[in-house]
Amino acid sequence: MKKNVLLYLRFVLILTTILVITYSKRGLSLFEPGYAIALLYFFSNVFLYYVSKRIFMKSLVQFCIFLFDVLILSAVIYYVQGLAADFYLIYFLVILVASLSQNIAGSIPIAIVASIMYGWLTYQSNPGMSFFDPAILIRIPFLIIIALISSYWSQSTRRASQEKEELERFNRELKKEVDRVATEEIELRQYSEKIINNVPSGVIAVRHDGLITTLNREAERVFGLKGDETLGCSIQEIAGLHALWQKMEQSIMSNTPVTRVEISIRNKHNEVIPIGLSISPITGPRDRFSGCVTIFKDLSELKALEEKLRHAERLSYLGKMASWVAHEIRNPLTSIDGFAQLLENTEEKEKIKLFSSEIQKGTKRITYIIDDILAFARTKRQEKKLTDINLKSLIESIVAEMNIDTQIASDNSPIVRGEIESIRRLFVNLIDNSIEAMNEKGKLRIRFSANKHYWITEIVDNGVGISKDNMKNLFTPFFTTKERGTGLGLAIVKKIVDEYKGKIKITSEVDKGTTCRVYLLKKSDQKGSK
Amino acid sequence: MTKRILVCDDEESIRLLMSEALKDNYDVVEAADGSEALQVLDRENLDLIIIDIKMPHIHGLEVIERIRETNKIVPILICSAYRLMEDDIVVKTSDVAAFFTKPLDMRALKMKVSELIGT
Repeated sequence: MKKNVLLYLRFVLILTTILVITYSKRGLSLFEPGYAIALLYFFSNVFLYYVSKRIFMKSLVQFCIFLFDVLILSAVIYYVQGLAADFYLIYFLVILVASLSQNIAGSIPIAIVASIMYGWLTYQSNPGMSFFDPAILIRIPFLIIIALISSYWSQSTRRASQEKEELERFNRELKKEVDRVATEEIELRQYSEKIINNVPSGVIAVRHDGLITTLNREAERVFGLKGDETLGCSIQEIAGLHALWQKMEQSIMSNTPVTRVEISIRNKHNEVIPIGLSISPITGPRDRFSGCVTIFKDLSELKALEEKLRHAERLSYLGKMASWVAHEIRNPLTSIDGFAQLLENTEEKEKIKLFSSEIQKGTKRITYIIDDILAFARTKRQEKKLTDINLKSLIESIVAEMNIDTQIASDNSPIVRGEIESIRRLFVNLIDNSIEAMNEKGKLRIRFSANKHYWITEIVDNGVGISKDNMKNLFTPFFTTKERGTGLGLAIVKKIVDEYKGKIKITSEVDKGTTCRVYLLKKSDQKGSK
Repeated sequence: MTKRILVCDDEESIRLLMSEALKDNYDVVEAADGSEALQVLDRENLDLIIIDIKMPHIHGLEVIERIRETNKIVPILICSAYRLMEDDIVVKTSDVAAFFTKPLDMRALKMKVSELIGT
């Protein structure tokens, strides 16, 4: 029970007491003991008003207060000799108030003290009275019963209200907790959104049906889309992202990640943008969470840079080529020009013949250089006449012209589709190299074999071999170790092999020989490769 | 006594050209590379050396340096497809009497030879 309520109730007690004194035979008159008692009683309540709540609410303090009340009331009844006038009923009031604020253990002692006081007062007013007189025998148990019932009732009421309070407090705390968790969740979501938005790569997550669930700022920039236009939309509805959806769908269907793939997408402004991407499938606990997330990089700048580099490389090649051409052509030009100058002053037939033949040699050399440059510089975009080429027959015809001991082993007929001149040049250059490495002696062995996709032509010589240092520069244009090489032979070979989407592998051991393996796509695998 | 000239060039046709142009007035010895040239120098008395720069095995400029280690007198003419400026060729002027670029003006070459060693 609250302090104030108790003080009010007590005030009612005080008022009743004052009224009892006032309407007794003695009446309330100044400087009489009754007056002093009433004053004391009244000020005791005023005093209690200032006692701190913490002390006031202690059950021992309250017990003392009610004990004090019982004693005061007994004094009043004794003073007004009010037992006969039923003033004793006021004890019920005290016990009632006491039991409202105390539990049974607190209110029963009060009731007992009140009973003793009542008994004593009764005995005082009627000294000859027996204990079994109804005034004692009925009233005293009554006092105790009242204490019991009222304290029980008040205790259960108090407990009920305590329980209610507890429940309300619990509800308040629960609501607070729910609010806190909700705020935390919002903050967490904002935080992860911030992280995703500040990733310098594009991030897009979709559900298994293509519905876009996440699109970060970089992805919006690359796609040229706004988040609010796309969130909740299906990626399938965005025409430019079709290639991306295909990859994502594949990843979802097979439940396997896709790593480092390059594709091109078309953004909202109809620009083609190359992107490099990785996809991770997400399998959610429920269907609506399954899908995948893609992280990608806009490769436009990188590609532009690569193109720049390629351009610079081309320019550097061009520079090298120009200086190489100048140097290489000046030598035969010197012969042509020099012998022409000598011709002017020669009449000897033999000399004229010799000089003209030297002039012709010079022009041949120049033609050879020009052919090599053209073969190297020719782009694959040029129209080519494609035919079926039997590699075995081709190589047989090449070695027949070259006067070298050759062994060709093949049980099958390797046929590829291509342009005869380029394939011929490929093998002429390789066989030329081998013959030169063997110093025109030694034995050239040629074998054909096949794997699933390729015809493999193996050219093995037992020549001088290639040193490790030179191996690195095998395909570098204008790199040569030969006295009269253009440095373009293997560069041309590589170029032709690349054009046919083939492969070339060269292994070599110094002083033992070199093996070249040329992989050319089988006719059946060649569709679309050229 | 006929003066003796060494022509050192890896290109056979150039060696032939030089010797055809000079053989009427001089004794011409040929060398196909630097080491051959050094061997001839050891063996014979030479009055003039005509040498190319870009040659296999030993670079022409290195050959000149080696010649100068033992012989400070014999005049050396360079005949190269390189251009001094364009191709960053550095030659000690004290080592070389003249630098001819290919294609050659045969008359100018002959004149220079006769200017250096007479006919």
